[in-house]
Amino acid sequence: MASASSVKTLSVSEQIQQLNGARKIVLENPAYYDRIVKGILPIIGPSSPVELRRWGADFLAESLSTPALSTRDKENLTVSILETLRLLVEGPNEDPLVLRATVMAAASAYPVVMRWIINNSYHRESWEHITAIKSRILRIWDGAPTPVKICCIKFAQRVVLAQTASNGTEQKYGGLDVNLTMIPAGHPVLDPRLLEAEATGLLDRMLGVLQDNSSDALLVDATLNLMSILIRTRPSTSNRITNAVLNFNPLKLANSPMTPKNKVLVKSMEKTTRMLLLHLLKRDPTNQNVGRIQQHIDRLVRSRAEIFDEANRKRVLPEQPAAPYGDAKRQRLESGIAPIQIQPLAPGPQSLAAVFTLTNNLGLQGFDVNQVPAAFAARISTKTLASIDPQLLDLAVNGVRTRLNAIYAAAAAAAQTAAINAETVPLGVDEDDDDYEPDDYPAEDNEQILNKLENAPPEAPPEETAGDTSALAALGQFTLPPPPLVDPEVAAKVGQVAASRIFGPLSVLEEPALRKQKAGINRLAASSYDRDSWLTLITRLATRSTAGLEDGTSGIKAEEEAGRSRMAISNMIREMLYNYVLEDWRRRIEIAVAWLCEEWYNDQLTKRSKVVDAPLHYETWALRLVDGFISYLTPQDKVLTRFLAEIPELSAALLGRLKVLCGDPTTVQLALTTLLYLVMMRPPVKEIALDTVAAIWMEYEEARPLAAKYLVKWRPGFIESQQAQAAAAVAGAGGNGTPNSAVAAAAVFT
Amino acid sequence: MATMDTANGATASSSSSAQNGQAESSGDFKLKFCTVCASNQNRSMEGHLRLSEAHFPVISFGTGSLVRLPGPTISQPNVYKFNETSYDSIYRELEAKDPRLYRANGLLTMLGRNRGVKWGPERWQDWQVGMPRLKHEKDQGSEGMEGGVADIVITCEERCWDAVIDDLLSRGSPLNRPVHVINIDIKDNHEEAAVGGKAMVDLANSLNKVAAEEREKVGAMAFDSGSAVGRSSFDERVPDVLAEWQERWPNLPSTWTLAWF
Repeated sequence: MASASSVKTLSVSEQIQQLNGARKIVLENPAYYDRIVKGILPIIGPSSPVELRRWGADFLAESLSTPALSTRDKENLTVSILETLRLLVEGPNEDPLVLRATVMAAASAYPVVMRWIINNSYHRESWEHITAIKSRILRIWDGAPTPVKICCIKFAQRVVLAQTASNGTEQKYGGLDVNLTMIPAGHPVLDPRLLEAEATGLLDRMLGVLQDNSSDALLVDATLNLMSILIRTRPSTSNRITNAVLNFNPLKLANSPMTPKNKVLVKSMEKTTRMLLLHLLKRDPTNQNVGRIQQHIDRLVRSRAEIFDEANRKRVLPEQPAAPYGDAKRQRLESGIAPIQIQPLAPGPQSLAAVFTLTNNLGLQGFDVNQVPAAFAARISTKTLASIDPQLLDLAVNGVRTRLNAIYAAAAAAAQTAAINAETVPLGVDEDDDDYEPDDYPAEDNEQILNKLENAPPEAPPEETAGDTSALAALGQFTLPPPPLVDPEVAAKVGQVAASRIFGPLSVLEEPALRKQKAGINRLAASSYDRDSWLTLITRLATRSTAGLEDGTSGIKAEEEAGRSRMAISNMIREMLYNYVLEDWRRRIEIAVAWLCEEWYNDQLTKRSKVVDAPLHYETWALRLVDGFISYLTPQDKVLTRFLAEIPELSAALLGRLKVLCGDPTTVQLALTTLLYLVMMRPPVKEIALDTVAAIWMEYEEARPLAAKYLVKWRPGFIESQQAQAAAAVAGAGGNGTPNSAVAAAAVFT
Repeated sequence: MATMDTANGATASSSSSAQNGQAESSGDFKLKFCTVCASNQNRSMEGHLRLSEAHFPVISFGTGSLVRLPGPTISQPNVYKFNETSYDSIYRELEAKDPRLYRANGLLTMLGRNRGVKWGPERWQDWQVGMPRLKHEKDQGSEGMEGGVADIVITCEERCWDAVIDDLLSRGSPLNRPVHVINIDIKDNHEEAAVGGKAMVDLANSLNKVAAEEREKVGAMAFDSGSAVGRSSFDERVPDVLAEWQERWPNLPSTWTLAWF
């Protein structure tokens, strides 16, 4: 742009510089808006150069939307620029960027003008202007370039917002509160029935993009992101919009080829839909469709996982082959004669994978065995080995052996002819094959794995061992040297290493499937070979492995006891488990609960064993866990409620930890609703929970209003008695001492 | 389109530097950016600094309830209030507490950088969008942000993106102004933040190039129906740019939506 600047644009750029100066003045002091906007209007009119019109339209959009002015302050300003807006929006062949900003400005102007007309019905002229602007915008809506179209949708939303009845829950800024109920009966200009009918029609037009299940992510996102305030604050629109959103399938585009761009679009529409629904669940609890919304969210999450989650795909694959492939194998065996034909390899270098590939199926040849989890592969292998026809096995083994021999022979021949040292030639390895990676066998299939397993046993006991055994027989008795003595410290260190290795598989093990069926009481712990079962194993190692052993030295010095227990392996595991949970406590809270259940159970067993002074662990670790994550809690962390609701036992000390949350105003509500939940849902701890609420009421002034609400309901008379006490205290002090905080609060409440 | 494809297809580092140079020479048009992470300390500030160095107008925020920095143990974080604590005061406090620890874990270096960028961490939810920001002249990237709005919001974590979208839905879009909100998943450590910062500049350059093209092409010539359809707008090309960017940065998964201020 700068390179093309000529004499003509120079003056324009000078003008823009001046305009920028004027803009700075109003930004510094919004009181000047009225004067400066009016002064600028002639410069930015429809006949000015496009640069000036763009600047002007942007400036008008900014002025009409600025939060620095109240709706009342904007009335005068808005009414005075309606004519310019109308000229700009009605201009033929207007520049899209000018049009876009003008429509944005009109969207801000609409509620302001409507409010103005409600109170000043004589000023029909401005209503005429805004009506003309409206009909022009609604006319260009369909044919406009996308950026303008988006703003037309936004304009329509403001019209719907202004022309439907509000439930009064919206914020009172930006003209969002202007609505149909403001129009007095018998208004000479505005007829509420006509306006509402128009709003209904416009809303339908807006929802059209969802009803058509459009794949234009820009329009879909723009529309979805405008719906929240309508659903929440305009009851008459709520059901229609919710239905349209629930019937919209944001993943439709996923059926077409997944190009990088389509991926972006599908992800965007799905996430935007889900965010709107989640937002409604959270902020609009009165919505009658809560159940349907929740179902829809679950469905979206599941479909999305199927489409995008690659980790999930890995799980899907091995589950499918289990049945059909098994059948196929059995069929092969039934035919009696081996159906596989082992082709001799083509001359030339071969990859190791190729040597072991016995199938002719191209799809299977390309299958990446790495995708099969090790546990699953092991299961397939043992089952297949148990049922395989020995003839077939021999055939396969011999086939591979023949291939290898051929390669060895070829390599030897090549070494001789080319006079290269045969030792340095990588046998059977194709040097040109870039895909070849000896470490992780990228292109093998099930059969190859099987073949390997098949090959392994005969190779394991080679002739050498036979020689060894005969040699040993001749030597007579042999005793192993005694192991070196291990001092406790080294043992502890080694123990720690062992303990940390227990945690190793966690990072490798697959996540449990998204929605696992709950087996209920029939569940057999640690039987599913996934991360869950491994964690069960760990928690039981920590809690039960040494149960009843720890107290063995109870008669001996306490000091030694402390030292021992610190080194005890179960405590080491506990410590690591604790760290593991805290690393990602939001997601691992379930593990914490499972662990604490085990601890509690173990404590009960210990108590029953009637050993004096046996150490109890439940309380200690529950407290440590709460202390661990409490400082990271945010107001949205409902996991706290869940955690406290699910762990087996609560104590006053544990609940007392919640008080810390009341020091931060944002988490007061979380702490108190959690306690309320306990009061309502866990009767055994009702009293402790109420004691905690009472303590919060006494200690934290900011938490008082909410705490008081619960206390009044659940512990009637408490506040009054506190206030009476406080009053008595004040009276006792003569009434002229500094009142303590309880008194101050009492004053707040009376 | 074709030329843009090849430019985008070049390796990230070279293309960003090339576009950088281009942007400085040709375009006076600059998209306005806003970076967001949890505590407005590491990832968003790295992005803030990098984008301002690339001459983009930029502001930054955190979506957490409090500013949380690692402490001596996992259960003892250092916690501060948003909008009221300066980077400098946090720096001095941590330096007094345990200079060795906080230098070793990189906190002091990070805070030292941050106090050179702006005064203190700001909270997204407390940001009054559209309020003039004239008292931030000393902030890096403040030039062009006087109007207090952004064209593109870049968040550094899915949770932050969710918080931003939820907040925008709650506000009810009083300004009637569209905004592209893009999430880039960046792990919260210094190394990843540096990589993320580079990726952000790459994205910003690619987006700005497209936006500048839009402003240039329609330019003085009036849009006849043919050309308006044939050459798509900035808004429409954002997903294309993002998809191309994602190919260049496959380890930083992204999410995008068009939301409203």
